[in-house]
Amino acid sequence: MADRRSAAAEAAGEHRRTGDGNLVRMVGIDKYFGRVCALRGVDLEVKYDEILGLVGDNGAGKSTLIKILSGFYTADRGEIYFEGKKARIGTPSDAKALGIETVYQEQALAPHVSIPRNVFMGRELTKAFGILDHKRMHEESMRTIENLGLRIKDTGAIVEALSGGQRQGVAIARVLYFKAKLVILDEPTIALSVKESQQVMDFIQQLKSEGISVVFITHNLFHAFQIAERFVVLSRGEVLTDVRREDSSLEHLSKLIISGEHDE
Amino acid sequence: MSSDTGAATGARRGFGGYIGRIQSLSTFVIFAALFIFFAVMSPGNYFTSRDNLLIFLATEAEFGIIALAVGILMISGEFDLSVGSVLAFCSLTFIKLYGTGMHGLLALVLTIGTGVAIGLFHGIVTVKAQIPSFITTLGGLLLWRGVTLFWSGGLQEGLDVERIPVLYSVLGGTTIGFVPVQFIWMIGITLVAVFFVSYHKVGNWVYVTGDNKLAARAMGIRTDRIKIACFAVVGAAVGFVSVMQMFRSGTFTARAGDGLELQMVAAAVLGGTALTGGIGSVLGIFWGALIIALIENGLVMMRVQYWWTFTVFGAIIIISVITTKMIEKRRAMTG
Repeated sequence: MADRRSAAAEAAGEHRRTGDGNLVRMVGIDKYFGRVCALRGVDLEVKYDEILGLVGDNGAGKSTLIKILSGFYTADRGEIYFEGKKARIGTPSDAKALGIETVYQEQALAPHVSIPRNVFMGRELTKAFGILDHKRMHEESMRTIENLGLRIKDTGAIVEALSGGQRQGVAIARVLYFKAKLVILDEPTIALSVKESQQVMDFIQQLKSEGISVVFITHNLFHAFQIAERFVVLSRGEVLTDVRREDSSLEHLSKLIISGEHDE
Repeated sequence: MSSDTGAATGARRGFGGYIGRIQSLSTFVIFAALFIFFAVMSPGNYFTSRDNLLIFLATEAEFGIIALAVGILMISGEFDLSVGSVLAFCSLTFIKLYGTGMHGLLALVLTIGTGVAIGLFHGIVTVKAQIPSFITTLGGLLLWRGVTLFWSGGLQEGLDVERIPVLYSVLGGTTIGFVPVQFIWMIGITLVAVFFVSYHKVGNWVYVTGDNKLAARAMGIRTDRIKIACFAVVGAAVGFVSVMQMFRSGTFTARAGDGLELQMVAAAVLGGTALTGGIGSVLGIFWGALIIALIENGLVMMRVQYWWTFTVFGAIIIISVITTKMIEKRRAMTG
């Protein structure tokens, strides 16, 4: 664990030296669904080692924007730069190859499949001829989960038997294991109890301490305000505000989201 | 093979694996109880005669091979209701090819290829047009039966199975001790299925595709391709079995495979396969198919009128889905 952490930190440091300070830069993103405009000229930057809160009302375009970044949709116009270089993200696999991982709220895990099979979904550890290495998959996934500070009693359980917080933990363990550079969390606390939400925020802090940047999408400003260092507010497909936490407040953000108008 | 049911959940310990074992244990108990019931109840003990047991194992093998493929397709989250009609169509394809004087082995390969092509067709239509496979293959059920009836004129046709003795003995005519050669095929194919479903990464892709398609896709798994491939596997199994059945019966009838689709679904759900995908095991389907074949054979041996079997299978589908649901619910709560 210790050596992996330092390796990740070192890698992040290297990027900082070469890049423009941004891990991701999305420039002038447009997205249409038929004739409906979902995003119009959106710019988004994510810095190294940063927790960014992406907030806005329903239909503001948050999900569309991150789905473009994670390869689910392609933008109709605009460019994406990753680590200073222009990137083409056409599929989820392209995004993963760059080190962009997404944790969707109810869509991250297969409920009737075991934890190791979930952690390694699509990137299974195998011996020769694609034969699953059950033992290593089990060991590696449990080690990562323990490192995250998550305790699961029955490690052979299927995911459905876990609590909501534990499930998020498993999904986050996955991105940790695969050494993501950027993790996008889509409403990670939406279905959780207060205590479980707190646990998930701890996981997110842990990601940051591993040198991973985080984009945190949420409706819940209280949660976002606890951990995000910067906020981007979207409204009707456009960026309303891009503001650091210390230059803002809960009331300020709430007002922006509700009114959907620039503040003067 | 005993770890098969647990392998999907990755649990040899743990409650999920425990329930998995309980479920295949209960299907085994049902099988044993039914076997004893038919043995005692069939007039003149026909049921346990050597001839009948041979027929039972041979027809069971035909059931079992298709049921495995259908069950795996169900794990991936799709259905195939067309297998009975495709079976008849493949039988006809084989007999027509064979009738041209073509080598039997080549005709076999082409027939399996025909099955695969039909499976691919069903799969591509389902996935690309985003139609529920229930509908696509319901269409297939009517379409392929219709084509078969039209092409054959509804007539029966005999097959000179002894023209190629080697193929005949490999596919239909021989027994090894008490076991017909079809059953050996069935065991071999089951082992291959266990390997792919439980011990190979492709199996994991099939499970997660059926369990949570969006998650699988987000993890870079090409769920459309997985589903289309599962349809193709069903087609291959049906093509193979159609030829095997022809070598057993020596006759093509345009009504071959009538009602097979529901028996296959019954076998799969009886073996613990979920109608919603993501849950199921090769071992469970194996036992499910054994039970369905046993009931079919046993009722005939008891001289029960044939159409009663449909009633029984209908009841089995409903009861096993309810039971599976109850077990599921208990698992979710206790776990």
